[in-house]
Amino acid sequence: MAEAVSAAIRRAGNPGRSGHVLSIRSARDLFSARERLARLFGCEDSSRFVFTGNATEALNQAVKGVLRPGDHVVATSVEHNSVMRPLRRMEEGGVRVTIVPAGPDGVVDARDMVAAFRKGTRMVVMVHASNVSGALQPVGAVAAAARRQGILTLVDAAQTAGSVPIDIPSLSVDLLAAPGHKGLLGPQGTGFLYVREGVPIIPLTEGGTGSRSESDRQPEFFPDALESGTPNSVGIAGLSVSLAWILRKGVESIRRKEVALVSELLDGISGIHGVRFFGPPDPSARVSPVSFVVEGMDPSEVGWRLEKGAGILVRAGLHCSPNGHRTLGTFPTGTVRVSPGPFTTRKEVARFLTALRKIRNLPS
Amino acid sequence: MARAATPEMILVFRGTHQVLSAEKQLRKGGVPMRLIPVPRHLTSECGLAIRIPLAERDRAREILSASRLSPLSAHLSLGDGGYDLTPF
Repeated sequence: MAEAVSAAIRRAGNPGRSGHVLSIRSARDLFSARERLARLFGCEDSSRFVFTGNATEALNQAVKGVLRPGDHVVATSVEHNSVMRPLRRMEEGGVRVTIVPAGPDGVVDARDMVAAFRKGTRMVVMVHASNVSGALQPVGAVAAAARRQGILTLVDAAQTAGSVPIDIPSLSVDLLAAPGHKGLLGPQGTGFLYVREGVPIIPLTEGGTGSRSESDRQPEFFPDALESGTPNSVGIAGLSVSLAWILRKGVESIRRKEVALVSELLDGISGIHGVRFFGPPDPSARVSPVSFVVEGMDPSEVGWRLEKGAGILVRAGLHCSPNGHRTLGTFPTGTVRVSPGPFTTRKEVARFLTALRKIRNLPS
Repeated sequence: MARAATPEMILVFRGTHQVLSAEKQLRKGGVPMRLIPVPRHLTSECGLAIRIPLAERDRAREILSASRLSPLSAHLSLGDGGYDLTPF
C-alpha cells in the first residue's frame, strides 16, 4: 500500500482532467479502487461509490445532502460525533431528531428503532458497530423495516468495512459511509460514501469535475455529482492496493481471525481482577475495538503505562462518542481501547495481557 | 469528404468513470479499441473518449447497452481530421 502511494505521488497526474498518460493512469487508480469497493460490498454499479477524505466527510454529505427542514430522523444513542454533530446542526435548521437509547451492553434493540419511526421520518442513521463498545447493531432488521416504510437508511460502517462481511443490496441500505484507513487498510485521507441509485442527494461541494466543462451547473450523474475538485488520487491508489489484498484474503477470513483474537482478549481481561471490559461478551456479537477500564486508574495513565512499559499503543479517554460513553456509564472519564486487526498475532495479544497484569501488580 | 483508411468511430461519454467502464466492458467483449483524448472540436470535455473500428459498431452497441453505458455522442472519423456526428 505504502509503495503504491509512493509510486503515485512520484508519478503525479490529475485524474479526469486531461487525456495524457499520467492523467489516464491516475484515473485508472480511482476506477480500480471504485470497482474493488463495489465488489467488496456486493454492488454492480461502482459509480455509486463516491470518494471522500474520510468517513466524517461522507457522513456529513449523507446527512446534510439528504435531510431537509421538517424531516424527522432516528439515530441510536451510540453514534459517533461524525453523525451526532451534523444531526445536531441540522436540528438547528428544523430537522427533528429522535435518539433511541442502547442497552447497557451498547446494543440498540431493533424494535425500539422501528417504534421511533413516525410520519415524516425521512432517514434512520445507524452505526454498524460502536467504536466504543464494539457492539454490532441490528442494522439489517432496522433497514428492512425502514425500506418497507419508504425511510432511507444511512449506515456508518467505520468499524466494520473490511472487517465484517457487508452485502449492501441484501442489507437494504441506501447510504453507507466508511473510512479508507481502518478496516480497509488504506492510507489516511481516504473514505467513501455509497449512495443507492434513486436517492435524492444534494452535493455539499460543487466545482470542477473534468466533465460537462461547457456548463456552469454541477453534473447530476455519479460519481461526478458528489466529487468536485482534485481528489486524493495518491491516497486512493494506496487504498486500491489494500482493497485488492482484502478481496484476495476474503473479509470472512479476516472476520474469523479477529473474532478469535477478540475472544482471547476478552477471556484474558476477564481473568484479571480489577479490569473490566465493555460491550457484548460474545465475540461474534461485536467487532475488534475492545474498551476496558482498570479500577482506580485513569485511562490515560493505563495508556501511558502500556506504552512506556510494553511499547503497546492504545487510545485512552473519550472516543468521540459522548453518548456512547453515557450508555456504558463511562462518561466523562472514558475507557482504554485496544483493537486487534488482521495483522495482529496471538503472541501480541498475550504480550498485551501480560502488560495489563503488570499494571495491576499481578504476576504475569 | 474522404473517410479514414480504416473507418473509425469516436464514442464520447459523460465522464471519466463512464469512459473507463465502457473500456472495461468493450475489452471484456473483445472489441478492439483505444482510449484517446477527446478531440477538441467534438466537445468541450477535457477528458477521454473511445475509438473503435466502425465495423465494430453493432457489437459495441450491444455490449454497452447491456451495461447501461450508452455514449453521449458518436462521431465518424473523417480522413481530413474532421468528424461527422452519427447515430450509435
